[in-house]
Amino acid sequence: MFTEFKHTLRKMKGSLLGWSIGLGLYGLLMAWFYPYMFDSGMDFAEIYGSFPPEMMAFFPSIENIASPVGYLDTYFLSYIPMIIGIFAAGACANMISKDEEAGILDLLLSYPVSRTKMFWGRFMGFIAGLVIVLLVSYLSWVIAPPFSDLGFTLMEFFNMFVPLFALLVLVGGFALLLSMLLPSKRMASSLTSALLIANFLLVGLSNINENLQPLYDVTPFAFFQGAGAIDGINWNWFAGLLGVGLGFTLLSWFLFQRRDIRVSGEGSFRLPDWLRLKRK
Amino acid sequence: MEETFAIKTEGLVKFYGKTQALFGVDLEVEQGEIMGFLGPNGAGKTTTIRCLLDLIRPQEGNVSMFGLDPFKDPVDVRKMVGYLPGELSLETNMKPKAQLKYYAELRGNSIDWNYVRELAKKIHLDLNTPIKTLSKGNKQKIGVVQALMHKPKLLIMDEPTSGLDPLIQQEVYKLLKEARENGATVFFSSHIIGEVEALADRVAIIRGGRIIEEANPSQLKLMTMRQMRIRFKESVDLQALDNIEGVELLHKMNGVEATLQIKGDLDKLIKKLAEFPVSDIEIMRPSLEEIFLKYYKEDQEEAI
Repeated sequence: MFTEFKHTLRKMKGSLLGWSIGLGLYGLLMAWFYPYMFDSGMDFAEIYGSFPPEMMAFFPSIENIASPVGYLDTYFLSYIPMIIGIFAAGACANMISKDEEAGILDLLLSYPVSRTKMFWGRFMGFIAGLVIVLLVSYLSWVIAPPFSDLGFTLMEFFNMFVPLFALLVLVGGFALLLSMLLPSKRMASSLTSALLIANFLLVGLSNINENLQPLYDVTPFAFFQGAGAIDGINWNWFAGLLGVGLGFTLLSWFLFQRRDIRVSGEGSFRLPDWLRLKRK
Repeated sequence: MEETFAIKTEGLVKFYGKTQALFGVDLEVEQGEIMGFLGPNGAGKTTTIRCLLDLIRPQEGNVSMFGLDPFKDPVDVRKMVGYLPGELSLETNMKPKAQLKYYAELRGNSIDWNYVRELAKKIHLDLNTPIKTLSKGNKQKIGVVQALMHKPKLLIMDEPTSGLDPLIQQEVYKLLKEARENGATVFFSSHIIGEVEALADRVAIIRGGRIIEEANPSQLKLMTMRQMRIRFKESVDLQALDNIEGVELLHKMNGVEATLQIKGDLDKLIKKLAEFPVSDIEIMRPSLEEIFLKYYKEDQEEAI
């Protein structure tokens, strides 16, 4: 299992580097930018107040943008989860299916490593990769406080990332499940990313159309605390997001256990062959 | 009881969706033998091999490898197996050495690297050239090395010499024979008749998802049709020969020479010939290639 864990991290190193640098620089920039933004004398509340309500709906904390919590919510926790979610979706959709489509899995599974160990070794590799990306992002925010004026403690900043981690495990688990059900990794990551963007849009649209509220209420973003976690994590929501994510992962593991490994290439839509099994 | 079969399958049935690929494959490979697995494209060779390794699962039938069920004990089975897939894919952003080290880690780092270097040297594989720059043949060499490097009890190779030049092919044959001499069992599929003739102790021919013949190459030749040319000292009535079961008179010349096609044993024919003044007999046996082509032809005729 450790071999697969290491191998997964080794294969992800390029994307980990890219995402870490990107999010790290973004965090540093936004943290450093905070005091200058409000020292400039511009009345941002008035500026944003002139924006159409349809746009304002996507950033519900914009009215409090001058406050550290409002600033973080607007510039980090409103849309960044969606963007890192695309990383999680891609990484998990690739986790097994990429090697299968490339024809590599065929040979790997002839080695004395069980499908269970391979699966969980790779999933733990993804979790470690996710932690690295979030850790770099976290560090970028905590390095800045001496120069900025956000005024949060290390723990308060840490709290901000805990619900984000759970949300990303859910997104990753969902992409992994789709990669076991759909013919290709490309479809799995595209569909997950599309649903993620749809959920983000639903957050805003439900603020201006109350008929959408019941739909929004059952989506993952409804249970994502955002900057509210700085004051205290809602552990029920955290457990819910993480639990559903791990549920998707368990279901993916179950399907992988029974999967007929393709020689290479993408698959097709059809009932899994294991449903025909009479012998087992 | 000591298990004598390295591989034993009983009634393997495999569907891909609605398409049936295997129709009850029964196969027995004894420990310590080299068995060739012949068949035209789409006959079920790769499907059978992939069932053995639990890469795909049959809807019906049983597989036993050294007495173990690969579905129930996949790790124990795979410890004993070295596998070379028909369509070998490797991680292109690695070097052969790194790739082989990864494979070695999957085997618990129990690989003797001196042996790996020795294997690489024998088949002229440079372990430090990036895989993405290697030709198909050189990539195949990595496949050969990874299959052999842990000195497995059973080698399962799907077209092992695909893409290799004739000199390296000969080296691979040597390596496989050496493995057998050291007690390994080799089960390989091939399209190359010469390869099967050169290597295999026994041959199984699969056609349309069914094993249609399982024998050693020389038995296989005996079991199939062969031709006999007979010369007589004087003109004889050849009709009597044509009436023998399994014998067909193909050609005759003035009652002093006849060409017969024979299927089955020669006992009745020889006894009948004893009544004639025979001056010479010549038996023409088909090559393994002709036998295989005959099966191919039957396959195509059935398809039409």
